[in-house]
Amino acid sequence: MAFYENTIVAKQDLADKELKTLKEKYNEIINKTSGKVIKIEEWGFLNLATKIKNYKKGFYIHYKFEGNNNTLNEIEKKIRVDGSVIRHLTVKYKKLDTENEFFSKKT
Amino acid sequence: MKRKNKKFQKKGSSSLNKLSLFQRNDGKFSKKCPLSIKNAPVVDYKNIALLKKYVSDNGKIVSSKITSVSYSKQKKLTREIKKAKILGLL
Repeated sequence: MAFYENTIVAKQDLADKELKTLKEKYNEIINKTSGKVIKIEEWGFLNLATKIKNYKKGFYIHYKFEGNNNTLNEIEKKIRVDGSVIRHLTVKYKKLDTENEFFSKKT
Repeated sequence: MKRKNKKFQKKGSSSLNKLSLFQRNDGKFSKKCPLSIKNAPVVDYKNIALLKKYVSDNGKIVSSKITSVSYSKQKKLTREIKKAKILGLL
């Protein structure tokens, strides 16, 4: 088991309900496939640096979780098919710091 | 063997009176690495405020010659900047 961080960039024109279901969908996928979600962060709507698929803004959802090969494969599969996700990134970490939040809502 | 006289040269000459452009600029670039000191900021793809300092206006990564970042930190920086670019943060 290793620690991972996964970030999803969702489309701009999704309703609040759809965002919630999207958030819980991947939460469940991780928990089902022998993984364990440690923390979920919502970075909210951020401006994209460049246009991606003609979108100027994206909704960022960030997962910190523990998992294995099986978990990663399942997430990759699901994200690739998902139409409402523009970009995604998974990074492996030896240690997760759950204290620092670079995108907290004070700004 | 001019290098052996380095100490002697530093005393007399400032960085301005050099003969050619390619001559080594003693003293001017001897800043210490800003990311290797104690309590240095975390180099991470989420820390965009830091990464923006090391990216030019056109989105290029600034060379370590200019920013005086150490070799290992520069390698880490480029990796994190590229991650941030994938997500559209930079």
